[in-house]
Amino acid sequence: MDFGYTPQQEALRREVRQFIRDNMTPDLAEEMDVHANAERPRGTSPSAHEFYRKIYERGWLGITYPKAYGGQGGDRLTQYIVEEEFTRAGVNIALNGSGAPAIMAAGTEEQKQYYIPRLIKREISFCLGFTEPHAGADLANLKCSAVRDGDYYVINGQKMYTTAAHSATHIYLMARTDRSAPKHDGISIFLIPMDAPGITVRPLWTIQNNPTAPLPTTYGASRTNETFFDDVRVHKSCLLGEENKGWRVGSMGLNLDRVGASRYLISVRRDEDIVNFVKSTRFDGFEPGKDPAIRDKIAEMWIEAQVCRLMTMRSMSIVERGGKFTYEGSAEKVWAPEHGVRTTEAITQMLGPYGSLLRTSPHAIEDGVFAHNVMGSFQSGINHGSVQVMRDQVARRGLGMPSSRKSRKAEG
Amino acid sequence: MANCPVCQAPVDEAAAKAQTGMTPGGAKEVDPKMGTRQFHDGTWYYFDSLDCRNKFTRNPDSYLKK
Ligand SMILES: Cc1cc2nc3c(=O)[nH]c(=O)nc-3n(C[C@H](O)[C@H](O)[C@H](O)COP(=O)(O)OP(=O)(O)OC[C@H]3O[C@@H](n4cnc5c(N)ncnc54)[C@H](O)[C@@H]3O)c2cc1C
Ligand SMILES: [Zn+2]
Repeated sequence: MDFGYTPQQEALRREVRQFIRDNMTPDLAEEMDVHANAERPRGTSPSAHEFYRKIYERGWLGITYPKAYGGQGGDRLTQYIVEEEFTRAGVNIALNGSGAPAIMAAGTEEQKQYYIPRLIKREISFCLGFTEPHAGADLANLKCSAVRDGDYYVINGQKMYTTAAHSATHIYLMARTDRSAPKHDGISIFLIPMDAPGITVRPLWTIQNNPTAPLPTTYGASRTNETFFDDVRVHKSCLLGEENKGWRVGSMGLNLDRVGASRYLISVRRDEDIVNFVKSTRFDGFEPGKDPAIRDKIAEMWIEAQVCRLMTMRSMSIVERGGKFTYEGSAEKVWAPEHGVRTTEAITQMLGPYGSLLRTSPHAIEDGVFAHNVMGSFQSGINHGSVQVMRDQVARRGLGMPSSRKSRKAEG
Repeated sequence: MANCPVCQAPVDEAAAKAQTGMTPGGAKEVDPKMGTRQFHDGTWYYFDSLDCRNKFTRNPDSYLKK
């Protein structure tokens, strides 16, 4: 099987790249950057909305979604090509992580009609409210409660690491609706507007915020949040899927969310940068591209990057054929973040001792971006399902091994 | 005023919850320097810092019995 692009696909790729060159201003680039969003919520300004509108007009948003819901009814490879180019430019247009895959799979007709077109056009966005202080890897331990009161639910509890809660219009919330059921069976998913009375967002600064990561840092987020729910009343129509069946909806959504270009691309972008840097740089007559140790390392990282890409292609092909994931998404979620850690470390090694200095040092190279990338790359091994938990899933679902011995209660 | 169950530092519950801003999505924002809280066994406990809350999360009983 050949994974190269056809001439039409290659033309599309160039068209997208040109569009970005023509429409992306430095100010916009700053707003779209994950690290800028600490002070400036990403993609919420009028110029960002205008930018998304233009992308939508080109037919490049929601390519794989049905036309009836504002999509293009197109194929995944086309979507991948477009996503790849935007991700390279630091713009997230992907709908994974948005809640859209889960709403398509489990939503009522009304929910699909309401949410999908708006998510595609980027008029609304979700943050994910899963993790709690006592429920991380052991997510089913969650305590946030939703109690039925007539046509409403009353929600109380707290969520941890709700990334983008400070820019999102909605939260995709996992809460306990039945306290007496076994822990996986009493959980439900709610789609809730962030302006519902009783929701409080408290910033949670990450390692990337001290000192603040410089703008082109690819990995990690500088800000995530804690989100509190104090007697938040939501209508029962906010429920996604059936009451108490939220565990299945949630884990299916997370699996679908793992498929896409962005996971692999955040590493590849750095890999491409270092190749260009090494090819074009000379220090005092030294050409890094001729150094055998550097060539060796770069070749190795490049091979790893290609494995990431092939894994992504395979996941897309599984979804395209309507196949079932067993271990594939989990394997991708181990390999890509760990490749990110290896490649960012290798890059700082190639740059020598100054490569490890953070931006606060006057001797930092390019504002310390490479060192900040090393720190940030570790975040992707934790968020959206940690690599340890993903390995466990590969063993269980992929290799048919028994569930591991019950670990002691996971600590938040 | 409450006291942090871990280090006993005073925490102003009202200040920890007081609105200091609003997200573009319309949620209330608070000042993180004013402390944080955790819902435990039906009660909100207030902490001066996340470090203290993390200690509490790991072993709440050891801080509540005192
Ligand atoms: C930058 C960032 C952004 C995030 N964004 C979001 C978000 O938007 N929404 C959201 O809901 N959550 C988010 N998270 C939370 C993330 O999903 C959790 O951090 C993750 O699930 C791990 O949970 P924990 O932090 O409680 O660690 P713990 O569950 O305490 O785990 C600690 C360590 O032990 C390992 N471990 C735990 N149990 C086992 C086991 N049985 N076997 C082997 N190893 C184990 C874990 O892999 C981990 O390395 C984010 C996290 C980070 C760091
Ligand atoms: Zn304290």
